[in-house]
Amino acid sequence: MAKTYDYLFKLLLIGDSGVGKTCILFRFSEDAFNTTFISTIGIDFKIRTIEFDGKKIKLQIWDTAGQERFRTITTAYYRGAMGIMLVYDITQEKSFENIKNWIRNIEENASADVEKMLLGNKCELNDKRQVSRERGEQLAIEYGIKFMETSAKASINVEEAFLTLASDIKAKMEKRLEANNPPKGGHQLKFAETRKTETWLSKCNLL
Amino acid sequence: MSDDLPDKFDLIVIGTGFPESCVAAAASRIGKTVLHIDPNEYYGGVWASFNLESFCALLEQGGNKELRNASQKWHVAETLKVAEAESDTVAGETNIKTDAAKQNVLDWSRETLLQQSRRFNLDLSPKILYSAGRLVQLLVSSNICRYAEFRAVDHVCTRFQNNIINVPCSRSDVFNTKDLNIVEKRLLMKFLTLCMTYGEDKTDEDALQFRGKTFREYLQEQKVTEKISICVMQAIAMCNDDTSFEEGMARTQQFLNSLGRYGNTPFLFPMYGCGEIPQCFCRLCAVFGGIYCLKRQIDDINIEADTNIASVVLEGKTIKAQHVVSAPGHLPNAFLQRNVGVYGQAELVNSLSRGIFLSATPLGSEELNSGGGGVNLLRLLAGTQEAILIQLSHFSGTCPKGVFLFHITTTAQSDQPAQDLAPFVSQVFNPDDENAPKLLYSAYFTIMGRERTSATPNVDVSTTIFCTSTPYYELDYDKSIISAREIFAKLYADAEFLPRAPDPEEIVIEGEDPRALSENSLPDDLREQLRELENSAENMDIEDTDAAQAGECTQEDAETQNMDAD
Repeated sequence: MAKTYDYLFKLLLIGDSGVGKTCILFRFSEDAFNTTFISTIGIDFKIRTIEFDGKKIKLQIWDTAGQERFRTITTAYYRGAMGIMLVYDITQEKSFENIKNWIRNIEENASADVEKMLLGNKCELNDKRQVSRERGEQLAIEYGIKFMETSAKASINVEEAFLTLASDIKAKMEKRLEANNPPKGGHQLKFAETRKTETWLSKCNLL
Repeated sequence: MSDDLPDKFDLIVIGTGFPESCVAAAASRIGKTVLHIDPNEYYGGVWASFNLESFCALLEQGGNKELRNASQKWHVAETLKVAEAESDTVAGETNIKTDAAKQNVLDWSRETLLQQSRRFNLDLSPKILYSAGRLVQLLVSSNICRYAEFRAVDHVCTRFQNNIINVPCSRSDVFNTKDLNIVEKRLLMKFLTLCMTYGEDKTDEDALQFRGKTFREYLQEQKVTEKISICVMQAIAMCNDDTSFEEGMARTQQFLNSLGRYGNTPFLFPMYGCGEIPQCFCRLCAVFGGIYCLKRQIDDINIEADTNIASVVLEGKTIKAQHVVSAPGHLPNAFLQRNVGVYGQAELVNSLSRGIFLSATPLGSEELNSGGGGVNLLRLLAGTQEAILIQLSHFSGTCPKGVFLFHITTTAQSDQPAQDLAPFVSQVFNPDDENAPKLLYSAYFTIMGRERTSATPNVDVSTTIFCTSTPYYELDYDKSIISAREIFAKLYADAEFLPRAPDPEEIVIEGEDPRALSENSLPDDLREQLRELENSAENMDIEDTDAAQAGECTQEDAETQNMDAD
């Protein structure tokens, strides 16, 4: 089967419960969706293929599956992630304060060169705002990462945020390809792969 | 924080080790509400992987209920400066070769190793998977495989006349190996072909002739050389002298059936260590709505006499559940004392003796470790005892570049793991052999288990509370999967165990209305669950209409309120 994309990026959404991670995910991948029954049908990541500079980039965006609720995100969740969206809710001071903890969590578990971006979600709720835009910008500068205010509900900046993160990863990756770094050696198991092709024993009468 | 939890679940699982996570995922997958708790602050219990720092800390504090008799030793200096000073004093009397080896050792100190702590994933219970084995089949059939990556084991080795030799697994291996002569190559091929076709003809006289005999006797009858015999017995069939013919044959076939699937050998190792495996099952459980709480103490469990419903007291809060599944080490003492004999003995016994070793150089020839090494498997024998050795390089994601990680596992004979493992360790890290890997660090501990005597029922007598099994002495996860399935079957007799979860691409969503979810894209079992959910929602008093109108972020808003208590 021919590959339908040039790059595959694994992206993660991280942040406190209720900041709207799942809504951001569905806004970007489905352009709106009611998320009330996702746990019944078991959606754990969404895929959207985007295109820029003539390259097709398949974004595989993983949600926390609720495991952020009691800070029980598995270390396995972070494996192989190339980009992370850190999300807080501009109407919840606490979710902003916790970004520091999430960054520590990322530093402990994700690869050191993972691309990060900070999102202040629910920016349509300006009258309930507890975290100013400037504070968001300031925190992003502190960590040397990009920042945007988004609204999954009003569809503001969600698309832009993912495109920015993806393009930064792509730039970093192409730089590294030039530097000729060897890839690592893991494999994923796939359905198709388990079909047995041919055993070496079937040809052993050659000996 | 417990106050945020619902007060009723279908199933509460205590412990996030492999079998507990299997049961939790399977229950969640068929629509049961699951609360999954672990008293530890990390996933995996006695099946977990640790970075170097937290591993040392765990051993330093003497382990825990499930891991005992811990000891550790640094064989390198505290810092590189100290090491250099020491090496100056002994310089000038060693030859070039040991100088090189010493140089490797000198690259590391306790400080430099700990600086790379995060690059380590040290397994308490390391495993190797058969490519066509039970776990791989389950991971693929359930679609849990999407949460993990694997590395094909690079070499299956065996010890022959004090050398470590490669057991050829592929056709090109057989052609290329220098360890076997042309006659031996033919003999091995002939023998394995015979095993491959064995059983196809039920009336085969060969088959009848060896019933009741040992696999060793069968091998002798095939007139193979000593070297071939060792390759087959130690590495392919992994037999002992008294292994029956049927079992030896079955194991050989398992080995052969797993060939040619993913890599050069029939085995796989999970990238970043085996601690990932239970976490993958936990992820599936969470994706289907399971709730996770780590670092929670269970005070007590009571069973209501008339309803058989369990009340689990979790840090002061009582949560009810139809069933409780627990790792044996996590059942609260108060509960065990009231139920002496019902859940096996309260005290765990020594089960596996484990050793973890770090070295700057690998075991065996350059050929076995080409390109910086990978994952090598070696079964060791000492008298009637056996051990499994797994050597890992940084390509497995379990240690930093330049370090080799060795796991040795044997069944516990005593409460002194170092003593149990000594006959194996001396074969590998013989200080008198200048080619042997030089140790940087070594650690010993005992994995505790439940004693299985005839008096202890295999599956618990209770219909509410079930106890999982601790790690078995086995290469793969076969026995653990079987025991997890047994428990699941007791809980939900007619339900399928981990049916395939749909790929995200398969779930087609049409428009903004959730009802427009294209049901046809879902597997049957999920379509049914969704319908049940919709029906029950319709039957309920329509009191949450307001919430439904509040827009797409309803559910998460509700969670926000819960989080305030955090």
